[in-house]
Amino acid sequence: MRVSITINAVQCLLEIEPGDILLDVLRREGYVEVKGDCHTGDCGACTVLLDGKPVASCLMLAAKADGHAVTTVRGIGDQRHPHALQKAFVHNGAIQCGYCIPGAITSAKALLDENPEPTREDIRLAMDGNYCRCTGYEQQIEAVLEAARELREGGFR
Amino acid sequence: MGVITEYYRATSCDDAHAKAKSLGSAAAYVGGGVELVLRRNPEVATLIDLSRCGLGRIVKTAEALSLGAQVTLAAISRNGDVKAYAGGSLAYLAGHIAHNNLRNMITIGGAIGRNQPWNDIVPHLIALGAYVEIQDDQERVMPLSDFIRQREPGTLILGVRLPLVNADLHGFLWRFTRTQQDISLLHCSALIGVQESVVSAATIVYAGRPGGTVLYPKVAAELIGRPVKAETFLHAGDVAAQAVEVGDDLRASGSYRRELVRAAMVRLGEEMAGVAQ
Repeated sequence: MRVSITINAVQCLLEIEPGDILLDVLRREGYVEVKGDCHTGDCGACTVLLDGKPVASCLMLAAKADGHAVTTVRGIGDQRHPHALQKAFVHNGAIQCGYCIPGAITSAKALLDENPEPTREDIRLAMDGNYCRCTGYEQQIEAVLEAARELREGGFR
Repeated sequence: MGVITEYYRATSCDDAHAKAKSLGSAAAYVGGGVELVLRRNPEVATLIDLSRCGLGRIVKTAEALSLGAQVTLAAISRNGDVKAYAGGSLAYLAGHIAHNNLRNMITIGGAIGRNQPWNDIVPHLIALGAYVEIQDDQERVMPLSDFIRQREPGTLILGVRLPLVNADLHGFLWRFTRTQQDISLLHCSALIGVQESVVSAATIVYAGRPGGTVLYPKVAAELIGRPVKAETFLHAGDVAAQAVEVGDDLRASGSYRRELVRAAMVRLGEEMAGVAQ
């Protein structure tokens, strides 16, 4: 079947099988920044934004994304044009192995889009589906707070 | 989910139901899709998408707060009318269950349709006195507790109605879990009415014993007409500990769960003491 999914602001016409999983389709199409790990919706590594809301792409039928917008961490920012969140994660030492970070940043982006001035509790709740086994979580929370501050002050996009 | 050969986008509820009826157990409705992917049923070859059937809205009418079957837990947790209903217990639960990514995917229709033994949404809805709107050969409305007992395969869930007569009562839920995202070792939900510091109405539900949802009118009867005092709830806890069937599994023993049954009533009493004041 053919679906139309807008991925990182580019409309893509994709040929998929009816039972395909969004994570697999995205990686097959070259969006390898979306990571697969648990494949049971527990770890958050596969988080993407669907119409601005974070979802577990490992449990999402690709056909359900037809007609919707998907944003991966590459759509949020890249090495040449990093988003404030990406800069803040580096600045705060919130990255070690890096495998979970695309999902963590994607969840944090959804939070800051909705709530530019989150509390620590807001951040914990918004990122409660993103596991990290390297850094712990304090640095990630500090990074999100710093990025929120920067964005409010207009320092970054 | 076995090999899926068809993804059918239903254009209306009639269309969806007709398709499901024609295919029988080879078809499944897609709510959020989470359970379909996680627990694959090799019989299922056709998925019926309901996203174009107009089931994604929360509407307040004169009699009820209606939640469409395709409404996600995240949307429920943010809705002002749900936050105002019965003290906001359903909104709180919908905003704290599982995790954020899944809350954006799981639909209330899917949660009811699957009703896994560890489900926390269904017991709380039953405690709130919810009705379910369904379509089989005709559209019907029935108490959710009856639907869970009698459910026929292939029935299309259209949504949930929370009666407004219960809107000003006090919803209570207590999930005893090892971690926030864990499934419940014990779940207790209640809906309590108070008039002049006396319990005027009560519904008590336990789940996760392990096993599904059970209403306990005998425990509720121990509360109605009695003062909102610690002794009332301690006594109800003793009755509940005798009445609620509990069992052992790998996660907790039956005797531990029995203590939790009692503790839930104590917690309810503490909460209601605050409400009564």
